[in-house]
Amino acid sequence: MQSEVGMTKSLMRASLTTFVLAVALLVGAIGASRAQQAAPYPPVVPGVALQFPRDLGAHPDFRTEWWYITGWLKDEAGVERGFQLTFFRVRTRIGEDNPSRFAPRQLVLAHAAVADPQTGRLRHAERSARAFEGLAGAGAGHTAVRIGDWFLRDETGQGQTYRTRIEAADFAFELDFEAGEPPVKNGRGGYSQKAADPKHASHYYSRPWLAVRGTLALDGGARPVEGHAWLDHEWSSELMPDGARGWDWIGINLHGGGSLMAFRMRDGEARALWTAVTLREGGAEHRDQGPAVVEFRPLRHWRSPRTEVEYPVEWALRLDTPAGARELRLRPLFDDQELDSRASTGAIYWEGAVRLFELREGAETEIGQGYLEMTGYAERLRM
Amino acid sequence: MKPTLRRVFLASLLRRRLATALSLLAIALGVALGLAVQLIHAAALDEFGRGVRLLSGSADLQLVGPREGFDEAIYPLLAGRPEVADASPLLEVEARLPGREDTLTVLGVDIFRIAAVQPALLPRAEVGADVGAGRSLLALEPDRLFLSEAARDALSTPAVDSDGRPLPPALAEGRLALQSGVRSHRLRVAGSLPGSSAALAVMDIGAAQQLFGRIGVLSRVDLALREGVTPQAAIAALSPLLPPGVSLREPEAAATEVGTLSRAYRVNLTMLAAIALLTGGFLVFSTQLLSVARRRREFALLRALGLERGELMRGLLAEGAAVGLGGGLGGVVLGHLLAGAAFRLVGADLGAGFFDGLSPQLSFDPVLAAAYLLLGVAAGVAGTWLPAREAARAAPAQALRAGASERSGLLQPRRRGPAALAAGGLAALACLLPPVYGIPLGGYAAVVLVLFAAVAALPALARALLPLLGRGRSALWRLAHARLSATPGQAVVAGAGVIASVALATAMSIMVSSFRVSVDDWLGQLLPADLYVRASSAAASGYLDAQAVARIAALDGVADIGTTRLVNLRLSDEEPVFSVLSRVVGGGWGLPLIAGSKEVPAGAALPPVWVSEAAADRHRLALGDRFELPIGGRMEGFVVAGIWRDYARQYGAAVLSAHDYVRLTGDTRINDVAVRVAPGHELSAVAERVRALFGPEHVRIALPGEIRAATLEIFDRTFLITYLMEAVAVVIGLFGIATTFAALSTTRQGEFGMLRHLGLTRGEIGRLIALEGAITAALGVVAGLLAGGAIGWVLIEVINRQSFHWSMDLAVPWRPLALFALTLVALAALVARLAGARAMRRSAVLAVKADW
Amino acid sequence: MLHIESLRKTLPGSPPRVLFDGLDLRVAAGECVAIVGESGSGKSTLLNCIAGLEPVDAGRIALGEARIDGRDDDALARLRRQHFGFVFQAFHILPHLSLLQNVALPLWLLGRADGEAAAAARAMLERVGLGARADDAPQQLSGGEMQRVAIARALVHRPALVLADEPTGNLDPGRAADVLDLLLGQVRENGAAGVLVTHSRIAARRADRVLELGVGGLRDITGLT
Repeated sequence: MQSEVGMTKSLMRASLTTFVLAVALLVGAIGASRAQQAAPYPPVVPGVALQFPRDLGAHPDFRTEWWYITGWLKDEAGVERGFQLTFFRVRTRIGEDNPSRFAPRQLVLAHAAVADPQTGRLRHAERSARAFEGLAGAGAGHTAVRIGDWFLRDETGQGQTYRTRIEAADFAFELDFEAGEPPVKNGRGGYSQKAADPKHASHYYSRPWLAVRGTLALDGGARPVEGHAWLDHEWSSELMPDGARGWDWIGINLHGGGSLMAFRMRDGEARALWTAVTLREGGAEHRDQGPAVVEFRPLRHWRSPRTEVEYPVEWALRLDTPAGARELRLRPLFDDQELDSRASTGAIYWEGAVRLFELREGAETEIGQGYLEMTGYAERLRM
Repeated sequence: MKPTLRRVFLASLLRRRLATALSLLAIALGVALGLAVQLIHAAALDEFGRGVRLLSGSADLQLVGPREGFDEAIYPLLAGRPEVADASPLLEVEARLPGREDTLTVLGVDIFRIAAVQPALLPRAEVGADVGAGRSLLALEPDRLFLSEAARDALSTPAVDSDGRPLPPALAEGRLALQSGVRSHRLRVAGSLPGSSAALAVMDIGAAQQLFGRIGVLSRVDLALREGVTPQAAIAALSPLLPPGVSLREPEAAATEVGTLSRAYRVNLTMLAAIALLTGGFLVFSTQLLSVARRRREFALLRALGLERGELMRGLLAEGAAVGLGGGLGGVVLGHLLAGAAFRLVGADLGAGFFDGLSPQLSFDPVLAAAYLLLGVAAGVAGTWLPAREAARAAPAQALRAGASERSGLLQPRRRGPAALAAGGLAALACLLPPVYGIPLGGYAAVVLVLFAAVAALPALARALLPLLGRGRSALWRLAHARLSATPGQAVVAGAGVIASVALATAMSIMVSSFRVSVDDWLGQLLPADLYVRASSAAASGYLDAQAVARIAALDGVADIGTTRLVNLRLSDEEPVFSVLSRVVGGGWGLPLIAGSKEVPAGAALPPVWVSEAAADRHRLALGDRFELPIGGRMEGFVVAGIWRDYARQYGAAVLSAHDYVRLTGDTRINDVAVRVAPGHELSAVAERVRALFGPEHVRIALPGEIRAATLEIFDRTFLITYLMEAVAVVIGLFGIATTFAALSTTRQGEFGMLRHLGLTRGEIGRLIALEGAITAALGVVAGLLAGGAIGWVLIEVINRQSFHWSMDLAVPWRPLALFALTLVALAALVARLAGARAMRRSAVLAVKADW
Repeated sequence: MLHIESLRKTLPGSPPRVLFDGLDLRVAAGECVAIVGESGSGKSTLLNCIAGLEPVDAGRIALGEARIDGRDDDALARLRRQHFGFVFQAFHILPHLSLLQNVALPLWLLGRADGEAAAAARAMLERVGLGARADDAPQQLSGGEMQRVAIARALVHRPALVLADEPTGNLDPGRAADVLDLLLGQVRENGAAGVLVTHSRIAARRADRVLELGVGGLRDITGLT
């Protein structure tokens, strides 16, 4: 009885959160008068060298920034599940002249999700807050983001280890990550162009093959888990070009120890506007960006029973590398990995654990595990 | 028993309709007054509680502190605690609307936090607001505010300014000006608060802190606790973290606190109602006593025919109960009507200002109604008890003897002199008792005892006073005089109601007059300057900063200025409101000291504090004592240098020197600037210069005379209800005269018939009755005046001191009292004559024939 | 002294009942007349008509030169206090007054000074044999003593006419005789006219004349009883 009551209360709070934040963040319009006073968002330009560990921390002048961890966990019984954890930082340009600690200059939002095949859909939770010292914020200099007791932190400050703890109504995890290698800079030295116009770009590095160890709790007790994860850290001021509706992105840890990052920016007719790829495999590194450096071709669609949105959940990927063309296939851990985050970032998207297969001589061989993100299928993604 | 009950007893009530109706009415009035006070208060508390529940939402605990707020540093500390699931900070500001009398409650909220704790405060953006200007975070914008429907309605209606001139609505074209300090800020209304029924506005907390100059300050933090953590456990765990002057309480406790604050006032009103009910009981007593005397032979006959003693007693008690029931029912209905009327006319606080801005709904509470109904029945039964016992004890044979009726109109109560003395002595002792939970129970007991003593002493008073009246040559005078000298009991029966009502009215008028004179005097001492400048009331968002004060001081024609800063502290859960005034103490800036001096004691290690009488009483402070106040987030020690009279803040106030206050708090805001105008300068010209300095809509300038007039007006409004109750008590007292004389005129028909035979005209009989009524009333009035004087003293020295902690100088309103006494005597004569009209109408022929 | 001519009185009702018609009566100063008759014959009504307490339908009543009929209420009251004395069956001694005050009552009504009134009342009480108890309260008196006080009150202001309605109705026969003797003796001594209504023939016999009231008027039955 007690727990039922507690559950109801938590759910009620969660749904209320959803309501208010949708109201707060998505309805209405900006006041023109205010924007003139605050300093503009700095542009992302090529040629800025990323420095670590400094750039592991926040870049509060930029408009949007995220730390994005996806990965696969295996428990003692050998069950494989996906998990995802994102901290967003948003500079509002509101109240920058306000000495109040409550001035909403920076907002922090967070999503966390567990893809459990047995559940058949994502368990997810979200939080949002204004940055407030001691309660919520994204620290500069090294990775340290938090909202209340949800956090992602570089414990040593050297970019070698991360730690997170998430407690939600119907799941919880507490995980330690260990990086085996230095960050991988995407694009040109971490300058990741998103459209033909170079002003649409982000600073972007990835950390594939983070070794994960920790506990995961679904219904009831926590179980030890281990696996591998992928961290993206990206900051930008003007990410999406006009005419773009969303993107498709993958981050895959290849079984052989390599990694593959690829995305394409899509227009309203699902045509590629811009693409990019970073492939590291067997000591070789292939990086490219351009209107069509990687081809995304949908193979199978799935329609969400909740939102009626249709997502291509299986893909054929083709990328041309100096070593020749690669024919790849993406298949989800399970179909329903839709994430409705209208309460915090305001988007409905698909964010799920996938396996990567390579087509060799007519046969598919699994070559990696990772995550696929597909945005802009419900409506144009707004950032 | 059933038919006997109906035909003998209850039917008798119908035979004496007038007396029955008046008794019934008296009980109804007593019940109605008591019930109305209770209903009004319950409804106001209910509404207040509803507001609290709505605003606190699902919060389990609230962190509350001084009205001006507390340091926000405690907020992240609490929010991060394992006991706390969610914490929602709030900044509450009574925002002054420039140039207007009213204010708007603005809540600065963290929109990310309220959803989980206070969903009623969730704003909804207006669809279509600012379309096309881009998209963003509307609720975080600093110049946006969301209005509840009630607030929008209030702000959209045209208003009047302080001089009664019409003003356009404050809200026009989606924009609203709010005052902070001496400046206006225009905000845009971005949407509504669908969950809130109260009149309030919500905006971003960061923006609110900046707009109102409250950076770093919170008014409240609402906490939702984690599963399994009880509020008590959380209070125990978290309280040690809290700075002084801030505490955690359950949201429901807010209503209790307000209830505590208004308790003394409410108890006082209830006591007045109780006296009305007591008077009603007296009235039942007097009519029943007379009725029983008249029916003595009837009862003797019934007893001779076999009616049991107990049956007789029960029958008579049933009569009383029937009157009480009727009165109780009428009182319950009347009480609801009164409460309803009071809501419309004087507001939920009966004019006392505890529940500003509430619009409570009257609701029927069956338990409360039943309780007051029972009170009415109890009054009826209690009033009948003694007469019924007398009747049941009488020996039937004696009563049946011829001529017994001659004596039946004569009431010779046992001598009560010793009882009166004992009651008086007990009253004196009761005055020495300390209050119980802030309620002066001893004082109220003394009031009842004095009343009892006055009633018991009335026969003795009659015996003592009547010979002094001398014997005129008029036959009517001699008859009336002889009658009353021989039957002082009649005076008791008829005059008891008069005593109670006169005593009450006298006591109240002495108290109110003393109070009013003292308040007037106090205002004179407190307001020595020529004019006063303020940006808004101390509770609202207007204030003067150091720069503004300096600009006033530099104005042409300003000789000298004195500043006052008023803040309210929270000393503890039991003492939630305590005022601190920071000001200049010396230099002729008035402070009505009753002890100590304005000089700082030489060589004192601690800074001085001058405490109000209430503060001295409540905190048991004497000159030279150490007194600690939670100020600037710390407990600071002061030494009591003086005690002053303060009628404005019954929960206590302390004056600190401005120098000490600023040093301890860093707060340089000023609420009031008192200005002395240099000789040769016009007051109005200086006032005009001050207005021009800040814009007339941003400052209010008051002359001491205006403040005085306004204060006395509030004073008079507060006491309006007591005047109404006095009037009711006087009417009840007159009922006593009426019922007695109506009954007497029946018993004395033989006498009046005989006198008509002897040559008295009908008119002379009427005058005889009027004269008897006047003398009876006069005796009652004298006793009432004496008792009233004593009760007045108790009110001033015991009840007021203990309830409100203020002293006052005795000021007896001789002329109004004399006029009142004479009017009452004249009214009593009239009423007696009207009630005795039957005696004049009755045929003298039949009257001498009838033996009973 | 008392002069009644052609007096008619009907009781209201349908049809109205005629109590008496064409009634004549003369009573001289110092004379005591007893009126007897059946219950309901109108004896008391006649007495009330004489006292001006009940209106008459026709005829004339005069006390000396003063007409009783046709005067207004207040004039009659003033006439009564000056010239009438009353003795009632139920005594009507005021319990809250002393014997002296009860007797002085008519003098008070006439506005006499305290001392004068008290002296006259005391003398009158002496005459009825209660001089020693002048300051007692009436509660201590027997019925006979009460009526003595009433007689004293009826005569203290020396009225021209004393009306007594069943003065011995509430007394036992022995006392009744004493009281009656006292009443008649005092009336005669004062030189007043006395009208006594009684249904006791024995009582009536002590009067100077005994008249029986019938529908036709008064019939002198002195000596017949």
